[in-house]
Amino acid sequence: MTQTPAAPSPEPQAMPLWRRLLGYIFDVRVLGVLGQMVFIVLVVLGVRTIGSNFADNAQRLGESQFICRDGNFSYRCAYDFMESESGFDIADTMIDHTNTDPYWKSFQVGVLNTLKVAIFGVILTTLLGTVMGIARLSNNWLISKIALWYVELMRNTPLLIQIFFIYFGVILTAPELNDALQPLGLPMFISRRGLNLPSLEFTSSASIWIAFLVLAAIQFQVTWVMLGRREERTGQASNRLQTGLIAFFLIAGLGWYVSSAVSDSQGLLVTKASRVRELGDLEKIMLQRTGANHLDDLARMPEEEVEDAAFQICAIEESASETNLTRQLSKLNVPYQIRRYERPDKATDSYASEKCEMFVASKTILAAERSTLESPSSHLILSVKEVPVVWSLPKREGLNLVGGSRMRPEFTALLLALVLFYGSNLAEIVRAGILAISKGQNEAARALGLTEGQRLQLIVLPQALRVIIPPGIGVALSLAKDTSLGIAIGFPDMYAVSYTTMNQSGRVLQLFVLIMLVYMLISLAFSVLLNWYNEKIKLVER
Amino acid sequence: MEFEGPSQSFVDEIIIAENVHKWFGEFEALRGVDLRVKPGEVIVILGPSGSGKSTFIRCLNRLEEHQEGRIIMDGIELSHDIRNIQEVRREVGMVFQQFNLFPHLTVLENITLAPINVRKWTRDHAEELAMKWLTRVGIPEQAHKYPGQLSGGQQQRVAMARTLTMQPKILLFDEPTSALDPEMIKEVLDVMRDLARSGYTIIAVTHEMGFAREVADRIIFMDAGKIVEENTPENFYNNPKEERTKLFLNQILQH
Repeated sequence: MTQTPAAPSPEPQAMPLWRRLLGYIFDVRVLGVLGQMVFIVLVVLGVRTIGSNFADNAQRLGESQFICRDGNFSYRCAYDFMESESGFDIADTMIDHTNTDPYWKSFQVGVLNTLKVAIFGVILTTLLGTVMGIARLSNNWLISKIALWYVELMRNTPLLIQIFFIYFGVILTAPELNDALQPLGLPMFISRRGLNLPSLEFTSSASIWIAFLVLAAIQFQVTWVMLGRREERTGQASNRLQTGLIAFFLIAGLGWYVSSAVSDSQGLLVTKASRVRELGDLEKIMLQRTGANHLDDLARMPEEEVEDAAFQICAIEESASETNLTRQLSKLNVPYQIRRYERPDKATDSYASEKCEMFVASKTILAAERSTLESPSSHLILSVKEVPVVWSLPKREGLNLVGGSRMRPEFTALLLALVLFYGSNLAEIVRAGILAISKGQNEAARALGLTEGQRLQLIVLPQALRVIIPPGIGVALSLAKDTSLGIAIGFPDMYAVSYTTMNQSGRVLQLFVLIMLVYMLISLAFSVLLNWYNEKIKLVER
Repeated sequence: MEFEGPSQSFVDEIIIAENVHKWFGEFEALRGVDLRVKPGEVIVILGPSGSGKSTFIRCLNRLEEHQEGRIIMDGIELSHDIRNIQEVRREVGMVFQQFNLFPHLTVLENITLAPINVRKWTRDHAEELAMKWLTRVGIPEQAHKYPGQLSGGQQQRVAMARTLTMQPKILLFDEPTSALDPEMIKEVLDVMRDLARSGYTIIAVTHEMGFAREVADRIIFMDAGKIVEENTPENFYNNPKEERTKLFLNQILQH
């Protein structure tokens, strides 16, 4: 304890001891220290109670929880069970996963799913919340009332109910896959199986192209700043946007060309007997097969005949290799049919049994698969020209939809519900932030002749941000943590996957510790980022 | 100090207000105000609080919307046309009681914001003029500080430099010294005096009797949303026409 002088009194000697002590106790400095000591004691007691409960439970669960692979007992082996086969499938995965993978791989899939929802959620919530917050203050009666109703409806109903409602009431009432809705003829489909959207697929040469893009972006920034400075100095307009953009596209184009020329990872497996040595040969072969003089003549031939003659090509499901190849086949105008398989070995089986004449995949996969064939030397791996990024559109094929990417209904429902709910929370924070700016600021901006847009952008939002950010961090953290509600509709996030793992392995304690650690890491990462930003925009005061 | 004057105006009457009415809900704040001002005139508006003097000058740059009557500023009528409103605001500068500097921008950024974004000047040009005005209001060394680091008097002088860098023809002063400590009032009044002498058309709402007496061409006394008396400073103080004016002058001159 620190040395504390007695409370001031005119004649300290004349006071009895107990009054002097009372003087000490009521000294605010002493009270402060005493308060902290009481708090520390309570915390220590609390932690000890929880800790001993934890230890008791671990004891009761028995030694089986902590068995090492060599059969011994040790707390160090608490997480060894994560190495064993999980035995369950996960519907929504961002990385390859099968039920033969170990628990830790499943956990990894869960963490990635949690991050996916959290990151997309925070980005979309920021957009929605900002727009709705501004809309609530709009002078336009309709806009402000729509925003008001949105906020009140979303804030005043429980999040869990909203998730159920959006999942069962909105998404699962969408039509079946075979009559999926295609709004406005856009390349997207809405069905009970989720949302099929166009996507970009990256082939292995994408990294080279992306490096060029980064270079082009740096160039643009430098051009923008340098020309901008010159513009301010000389007052001459230099068309910096145009100059920067032209240079950007030149570099990006060059990068596209270079990465296509350099890369050689895409392959096509064919038999030597097929006489195919490059993609151009396909035209000749097709003409021979159909007896036509020109590929254009195929359009006039009976459909079944063309279908029979079409090249049968095996591919791995949802692979960029397929999109890359079909793009080039469409250019050649030769008819083809794709057979998709979940795994390379299944595609190889199909190829071996001559269900398809070619197998498209990356060269590494093909080389591995060729060695499993009966006589590898009678098969060739041809190079397929490759572009760094292919644009894949979803389209109907029979009763199914192929291409593009699919947002599963569980993911869509969870993301939508979280964004709508937390968007309404953020909208109120944004509104409060804007209202916190004094009327005088707006009047000064107007009196100076700034337009309404400029006033919002240059005066209101920069000042509102410092009020919005701290509680906004709270919204982002809540959203990240509430992704765990996904378990209610079967979205395989970290918690859902861990829950299944707990049921199968019985390792409850270990998994909860792991889950809490990961959530804490995610939350800390979010708040470090946002606090850094908050520090940056703080006002300078005297 | 000698100030560069405003740009030439080509109208006979730079401010024309005819029968201006303004309601706040049920309350009628302005009840038919008429005023005509020639370029270069300095008008001081006096009146008890709640008499509508601030409301009236805030109607002149459309911070408040008048519901009846006409207001024509430098030949442009204030209507619901946003282009007219923006044009008037470019020509009319306003200085507020509470300064209303932007706390997130430096002094220099405060001043150059509107010239760059509204007048579309280059930054160099705007900064050059901003520094000129800062020098003339006597605080060029504060250019890179933030408003929160300045005293009230300095802030008000920055606010004036901010208004003047936009090169307005008309200046509206809304009680610019009322929020200042007594020792800072003088530095702001000095600037105002010099502006008045260099040809700006000025309408000032202020309680500074000395200022009104010294530089005003006309004094307007408002009460209950109407102009009660319009007079030269000389006659206004020594020989007021209206009873209401006498009562007001008695009240403020007693202490």
